[in-house]
Amino acid sequence: MENPPSRVPPSHIDPDRVATMYGELGNKLVQHAKRTQALAHLPPYQTEIVRAVTREVRDLDRDVTRLLDPFEGSFNPSADPATACALLVDHLCMRRNKRCLMAYHRVRTEKLEELCWTGVDVLEQQQPSEGGEDRGVPQAGGGQHSSLSPEEEEYFRQYGDMLAAYKGQWTDIDLTGTLEPPKDLFIDVRVLKDAGEIQTEYGVINLTKNSQLYVRQGDVERLIAQGFLERLS
Amino acid sequence: MSYYDIDSILTDAQVKLDPSPEKLPCTFELEVPGLGILEGNPGEDIKAGTRIDLPLWLGEMLSIGARLGTSRLVTLDMPDALAERVMNALKADPRTVDLRALAPHFYTLSERILEIFEEEEMVDVLIDTFKKRAAEISDHAHNPRGAVGEGVDFLRGLDETERQLFRAAHDRAKEVRIWAGEAKKK
Amino acid sequence: MAFPLPRGITASEIAFLAEMETVTIVPRQRLEGLELLGGPVEPLIPPRRAALPLWLALLLKRQRRANIMPPPWLHPDSLSLILEVESQHQDYKSAFSPPPPLPGQPSIRDQGLEPTARPQYTLDGNRYYAAPPFLPQNTAQTVVSSRDPPALPYHWVEVGNMLLDVASDDLVDPDQIRRLLKDLREVRMAKMRSGIDVLDDAAIGGGGVALTGVGSMELGEERGFLAGVVDGLRKIGASKEQARREQLAEQRANGGYDGTQDEEEEDYMEF
Repeated sequence: MENPPSRVPPSHIDPDRVATMYGELGNKLVQHAKRTQALAHLPPYQTEIVRAVTREVRDLDRDVTRLLDPFEGSFNPSADPATACALLVDHLCMRRNKRCLMAYHRVRTEKLEELCWTGVDVLEQQQPSEGGEDRGVPQAGGGQHSSLSPEEEEYFRQYGDMLAAYKGQWTDIDLTGTLEPPKDLFIDVRVLKDAGEIQTEYGVINLTKNSQLYVRQGDVERLIAQGFLERLS
Repeated sequence: MSYYDIDSILTDAQVKLDPSPEKLPCTFELEVPGLGILEGNPGEDIKAGTRIDLPLWLGEMLSIGARLGTSRLVTLDMPDALAERVMNALKADPRTVDLRALAPHFYTLSERILEIFEEEEMVDVLIDTFKKRAAEISDHAHNPRGAVGEGVDFLRGLDETERQLFRAAHDRAKEVRIWAGEAKKK
Repeated sequence: MAFPLPRGITASEIAFLAEMETVTIVPRQRLEGLELLGGPVEPLIPPRRAALPLWLALLLKRQRRANIMPPPWLHPDSLSLILEVESQHQDYKSAFSPPPPLPGQPSIRDQGLEPTARPQYTLDGNRYYAAPPFLPQNTAQTVVSSRDPPALPYHWVEVGNMLLDVASDDLVDPDQIRRLLKDLREVRMAKMRSGIDVLDDAAIGGGGVALTGVGSMELGEERGFLAGVVDGLRKIGASKEQARREQLAEQRANGGYDGTQDEEEEDYMEF
């Protein structure tokens, strides 16, 4: 496929001086969000960009006030279409930025909820394992280790508490357990780490390292997830 | 189209900087003081008749005034991604066109554009394109050995909607193979 | 989006549901009757046949306490015949071989007869007509008149696969069955995909692909993709559809609408 004809950019624009077009930073955030959706972990919170976008919104709001000031509350759009157009552009840019901010944060909170359900404690493993993530983007607050914003940490904590309270209502069923329907009632497992004795419907089983057992799947699901046992097929 | 939908927000934006086929060519019908930033000249004015490529979210709304007949702010042209030339290429053989190079969100962009312009023939061309390419996508997705030869180029040129189709077909086919014991997990 | 699974139903969930199918076994050991959540299981007394849910039959088979009697369709002769219909028969070039008849439904050879379903009664005396998935389609003694050709039941992929896996020694020529099942799957999947061409009629309303006779695993595999295609076509065609509706509304307002438009659309139904 041939490339689209490239229009020559106006030559009087100095590429180093080019002011970022309104909404471009917001777009950057959304692209971060798009990448986040495909990742298993949560990349660092883009404090700098979020701040810059909110600053842009404040600038736009100031511009609106400046434009409307001379009219003293009696602005008639059809009498002054040029100002109306400038106001509309300001308004649309603010609205756009808001949508980008909202979507960025929502993608991240959804990720946090997902991590809560899968039992990953993000607050404990503060440092994301990957290096070189998000190249060229200024990192949040310099020496800070968490990839979450303080608000996100709070959200994660409270959502976790809420989920625990919800799960606590049922003792016989683990709401955060596997969603895979069982193929067999009983399975062969190998013990990877000593886990002591566990109580089952059929009596006590002793889990000593390297022993192999034939046990009911439901009894050991949790232990497999925690890495004490390994399922043999 | 949800407010929070990431793909819909990206459709709305210019994804690449400077001349981008996804942007909407707009012509300003009146002089607007202080709006030069849209052209990259902050603080300056925009003259009537200036042609600027604006992102969809901005151009579309600015053109509404014109459609309501109140006052004409800007008039719109068809973006390059949906130019006559592209339509002809799609009519000739939809499978050889690299949609991703035209616009990463080619179809969602088309949907939005078709809301603005009435282009019945374009709808027909795009529907035919979508169907022919979907059949091809399905074939590749069900090939357990993965794409080979020409297939690699075709799959690289899928737009975002098509990528999701491919993923849906591929993941499900794989899941069934894993269940049937024909493939290993991960 | 804490829920991690894709939309729809996964392959292992489909297989799990299929394990509720009733199959016939010949017990090799005595076993007392069981009161299960899904209903009581009769006492097993060799060599009397018994009907059990598939999951229990598989468990007993694995423990060598029973043999499974394969359903009549899971036989090389039946499968070859169905494959022949699917791939050679003119009428089934783009359709799927017919599913097993419903109780009381006249067989395809007696087209035109009135259906004569016999009602059944619940324990409370309420009348009902059994329908899939609560019909035995995989028992050895499935009541089908001998005039009915063999047909693939709703859970054919799952039941076939599981029986081959666990009870291949109870089947006639399991290798041949395995080959035939694979060929059938390929022929039918190709048919489902070739339906993409008429899917835009489905998006606009009235047309589409008839999926009569398609099994649950097949549906599960193609659901995401086909629904995605229909959705995509609907979105691309939205502006045209809008224009068409406006035109229709206008015609109706002008009194030009005489009800024939809807009937014309019905003609797209064929696939």
